[in-house]
Amino acid sequence: MSGLDHLIGGFSVALSWKGLLYCFIGCLWGTVVGVLPGLGPLAGMTLLLPLTFGLDPTIGIIMLTGIFYGAMYGGSTTSILVRIPGEAASVVTCIDGYEMARQGRAGPALMIAAVGSFIGGTFSILGLMFIAPPLAKVMIAIGPSVEVVLMLLALAVISFVSPGSRMKTATMVVFGLLLGTIGLDNLTGVARFTFGNPDLSGGLSFAALAIGLFGLSEILINLETTETIKAIQPKLRDLVPRWNDLRESGPAVGRGSVIGFIFGIIPGASHVVSTFVSYAVEKRLSRHPEQFGKGAIAGVAGPETANNAVTGTAMIPLLALGIPSIPATALLLSALTIHGVQPGPLLLTDRPEVFWGLVASMYIGNLILLALNLPLVGLFVNLLRIPYRWLVVIILVISIIGIYSVNFSTVDIWIMVISGGIGYVLRKFGYEMAPLLLALVLGDRLEANFRVALTMSGGSYATFFDTASIIVLGSALAILLVMQGLAWALGYRKSLADEAERA
Amino acid sequence: MVEQTPIADHSADRGRERARRLPFAISVRWGGVVLAGALAVTGLVFVWQSTMLDLGGIGLPGPGLFPLVLGVLLAVFSLVIGVESWRAPATERTVELGHPHVLITAAALLAVPVLFEPLGAYLTLALLSAVLLVFVARLSLWLAAIWIALGMAACWYLFEVLLGVRLPAGPF
Repeated sequence: MSGLDHLIGGFSVALSWKGLLYCFIGCLWGTVVGVLPGLGPLAGMTLLLPLTFGLDPTIGIIMLTGIFYGAMYGGSTTSILVRIPGEAASVVTCIDGYEMARQGRAGPALMIAAVGSFIGGTFSILGLMFIAPPLAKVMIAIGPSVEVVLMLLALAVISFVSPGSRMKTATMVVFGLLLGTIGLDNLTGVARFTFGNPDLSGGLSFAALAIGLFGLSEILINLETTETIKAIQPKLRDLVPRWNDLRESGPAVGRGSVIGFIFGIIPGASHVVSTFVSYAVEKRLSRHPEQFGKGAIAGVAGPETANNAVTGTAMIPLLALGIPSIPATALLLSALTIHGVQPGPLLLTDRPEVFWGLVASMYIGNLILLALNLPLVGLFVNLLRIPYRWLVVIILVISIIGIYSVNFSTVDIWIMVISGGIGYVLRKFGYEMAPLLLALVLGDRLEANFRVALTMSGGSYATFFDTASIIVLGSALAILLVMQGLAWALGYRKSLADEAERA
Repeated sequence: MVEQTPIADHSADRGRERARRLPFAISVRWGGVVLAGALAVTGLVFVWQSTMLDLGGIGLPGPGLFPLVLGVLLAVFSLVIGVESWRAPATERTVELGHPHVLITAAALLAVPVLFEPLGAYLTLALLSAVLLVFVARLSLWLAAIWIALGMAACWYLFEVLLGVRLPAGPF
């Protein structure tokens, strides 16, 4: 079957009533969690993860992915109307988006953000469609030693590029790997750190840990604040941008698509990095850089396009290599595994309907989001009026039932509650949860591949330095270094510092 | 004649006083040291437990070697963080822990796994919702009861009827 046949097959899944319904639910919930401050894509995905357990794997993943990119769309709404970023990737949009809203131009800002998001998202899906299949073919040819090298590289890069203390991030990576060793050893079947509890033999439930560390800890932190939110209400008739707006934002959308797509490859915080790079580039290329910070539409169009262009790129390492690069894709990996689908090079040959169904649904999801976000912007803004403490009750009840329904065990509820408390304290002291989660997901395979590679080589560590490993490691490292260097050169650090100063 | 002084009940005042002191402000420096120490101890527990497993050899590692190395790394990294926090210049920076709403939510959540199977899922979740709606969201008891009844009915329909998830019914 050719790629086109597969894509047509994918559309038949995505356009089925179930595919459309769950894609819509995912996009809608994604927009809602993107709009609500303190609930990012990861918390949104973890909260609805249990709902997918009764679904077909493709449909479940379509819904979860919809939440991922839906949150990227929704995040811009609060940035523009309230000056509160719905999630981290929308921080930059606050700068010029809110200024535009204050000048009575919230409509064009929202319109351009939505259209830019659509273009950036669609551009990155095209990239995913064309890059993932050949990359998977290359990966099939490589052995466990190269996979170990790639996973170590991903973890090292996460430690290096994550915001905050590198030592704390590295500690979280090690802690995540360590938590991943709990349960039966993959190769020998020996129980490790289960203390005789059969509920722990399958390891710590990833869903329970993810909801606890991200969702619950986020809720606890948000419960500490009591501020009320006042939003600027845009009128629907004001949404249409002026000709001048289109002329200024057109090139920014184009550049944002490319920047988001390229920088999406950096593990850890690609969606945030890409927005800062895009903002810095737009400011540098603008004929009126002095307008940036005072309501320049290019300062909204570029970053919003970039953060949505990351979504497709972030799916490439997940689907082609089985290695998640950001927490949201780590959760998708876990969800796929729960559904009995192993992401990685064999996904495209063994379960093509999952890959192509997902690709097709992303095209449809982007259209749904465009249709949802513009006419319903007033409704989403009104969500901010619902007291957060009411929402907490709904979120917690859904999470508890969902977590229990994975294994029908109260141990998972214990894990969720305890990890929520641990996450709350760790985050208060500046520890990042994303590296922990990524390491937890990768730890199992890292150890298994490490030991298999050593067994195959008769105990020789030289297997990790063979030609294939060096080529893969060298090229991956070179790409990442170039990306990181480019980000720095294009002013990522400076715009980050500017924003910090502004805040 | 000895004049008797009235014995005042100060326990309620003390409770209010404690509540006024919440959340606790903990210095970043000391909190950082304590947290790093806790992580280091966690690492050492893993090291200790790993030594009870087959470590294998460097060339052919057993199930205990990987966690042993990771436990050592966790302990070392945490110690470095602890020392860095200790040696950091003393500042007034503090971290607030134990906001009353956080404590109420955490306590209510801790009760959930204990009661979930003996009391039944819906009754346990109704109690959790009641605590949160009344003490955190500050809803009146009647309004909270109406919302909880509606919410539990919606949960039952979504999970039991639509998704076929069988939750513990409890003694009823």
